Amino acid sequence: MSDVQEATNQLLHVNLHENQRYIHVTESVPRSESEHLRVTIGATVPTGFEQVAADEVREKLRSSCKISKDRGKIYFDISVESLAQVHRLRSVDNLFVVVQELKDFQFKETKEKVLKDFEELAGKLPWSDPLKVWKINTSFKKKKTKRKKLNQNLSKEKIDNGGDKGDERDVKKELSNNALDSHILDYYEKPAIKEEISTLVGDILASCKNENDESSKEDTEPEVLKFRVTCNRAGEKHCFSSNEAARDFGGAVQDYFKWKADMTNFDVEVLLNIHDNEVIVGIALTEESLHRRNITHFGPTTLRSTLAYGMLRLCAPQPSDIIVDPMCGTGAIPIEGATEWSNCFHIAGDNNPLAVNRAANNISSLLTKSQIKEGKLSWGLPIDAIQWDICNLPLRTGSVDIIVTDMPFGKRMGSKKRNWNLYPACLWEMSRICKPGTGRAALLTQDKKCFTKVQCSNSKTQLEDPGIQWCLDLRV
Amino acid sequence: MKLLTHNLLSSHVRGVGPRGFPLRLEATEVRVIPVEFNPDFVARMIPKVEWAALLEAADHLRLAEVPKGPTQGYEQDETFLRKMHHVLLEVEVVEGTLQCPESGRVFPITRGIPNMLLNEEETQT
Repeated sequence: MSDVQEATNQLLHVNLHENQRYIHVTESVPRSESEHLRVTIGATVPTGFEQVAADEVREKLRSSCKISKDRGKIYFDISVESLAQVHRLRSVDNLFVVVQELKDFQFKETKEKVLKDFEELAGKLPWSDPLKVWKINTSFKKKKTKRKKLNQNLSKEKIDNGGDKGDERDVKKELSNNALDSHILDYYEKPAIKEEISTLVGDILASCKNENDESSKEDTEPEVLKFRVTCNRAGEKHCFSSNEAARDFGGAVQDYFKWKADMTNFDVEVLLNIHDNEVIVGIALTEESLHRRNITHFGPTTLRSTLAYGMLRLCAPQPSDIIVDPMCGTGAIPIEGATEWSNCFHIAGDNNPLAVNRAANNISSLLTKSQIKEGKLSWGLPIDAIQWDICNLPLRTGSVDIIVTDMPFGKRMGSKKRNWNLYPACLWEMSRICKPGTGRAALLTQDKKCFTKVQCSNSKTQLEDPGIQWCLDLRV
Repeated sequence: MKLLTHNLLSSHVRGVGPRGFPLRLEATEVRVIPVEFNPDFVARMIPKVEWAALLEAADHLRLAEVPKGPTQGYEQDETFLRKMHHVLLEVEVVEGTLQCPESGRVFPITRGIPNMLLNEEETQT
């Protein structure tokens, strides 16, 4: 197969819920035609899951990763032909292509000097290859939007034929979201020391500059790209703010490329990530700064699918493992499981009838999607939903291999007081149903105090045949 | 609800313990939904299956061609594996009931979802 054909195949099949069959790493393909560009890609991942993401990259892209000191980021090299596969990674929230990594940036003493350095930096960076990648990436996204619309129209027909309208609509949104448009919840992340971006000031100043230097050149330009600069800054010794850096760097970028600055309707998002002495300039390949605004609710506390994937992966599911989420809510975890580990059996359970029904709807909508894609009529998945009480699980002792769940935090759901009583009963039942010796669990909780208390009391009472080896692996 | 799930479910009515397995299955609506065949998955699942419970459930659903137990060399026997695949994963109970063999308590299955919630009195220890 020629490079072109391979690339075309990849373009047509960019879809994260895809059958594993379609994923193939480009191997010994004649490289005569294409430029065979190699680039460094940066990815943001849920904090604490950097290693998990690195494993996924190694497995799917055969690339090793560098884990950044700047938490929640990993870097890896790929050849441009693998870009489609990069988008299929399930543990990453957002992607960007690295323009340049400056490992030991010497920040000058005064703000003016530092900002001047940033301005001068803009013109010295190797932009051309990353921009090529950005261009290829944009054409992927256009194809994907077309397919998304097609899927939405088709699943809309399903809604009209009956079923819960509200749920179906929500479900559609969930499924058309993917690692590119992450949905929901920085709720689980500890507030970072980083300054949050707010480059509105920068934008106003840049557009002021723009008006002043307005030239007719812009009008004759066939395609003037719109851009914004997003700056993330972390570190204690900086004498400038992220706003200022973004503004001045952005101004220089604008002068260099003659692009138009636009904070909301941009084509190119330039990233300026500063962590102590490390400065990384990148171009976003996914909607980086907008993903937090893209909150779509399918339920009061739906888990991000990247987090669900990371937790499942941590448990290293083996073929034919029985994987249970006893507090599944809308079923984010079992659904992620059934999609990525279809050689396991997944059970989604919850005591709330609304939650279970929503989970079941989400499952059947998943079926719709694979139906359309593969032309199969009503194919099922290895997943079931049950309404039950976590404190009294109707499952045989020692029958489950893996438990993955998102425990109620006592903030949005339940209360701290309830957690105090809920946790011991939960953990007891979970250890009972787990297979002795090999059973394992990944539990997401923010209520450290409650969890630690329960763990201590369990070891005191010396559980017989402890099903689960409690690994208190706090990811904060 | 698939039969593989039924194989894992056990009644948790107070005082019943392991005598709560298997739950007696009755169905008023059953659907067959094809699922992609994965021989490795089925082969590894065979040792985990409680056969008596599976056969009883399959019998109640009046399924034909259900193997009575693992045959010699079943891992390579595709016909056997396909039959098991069908029984475990492709038969869906949409409407029906599950009954605790010890206490007689009935749990409904609605739209494919079993409701295993107990009342306050049934769970108090």
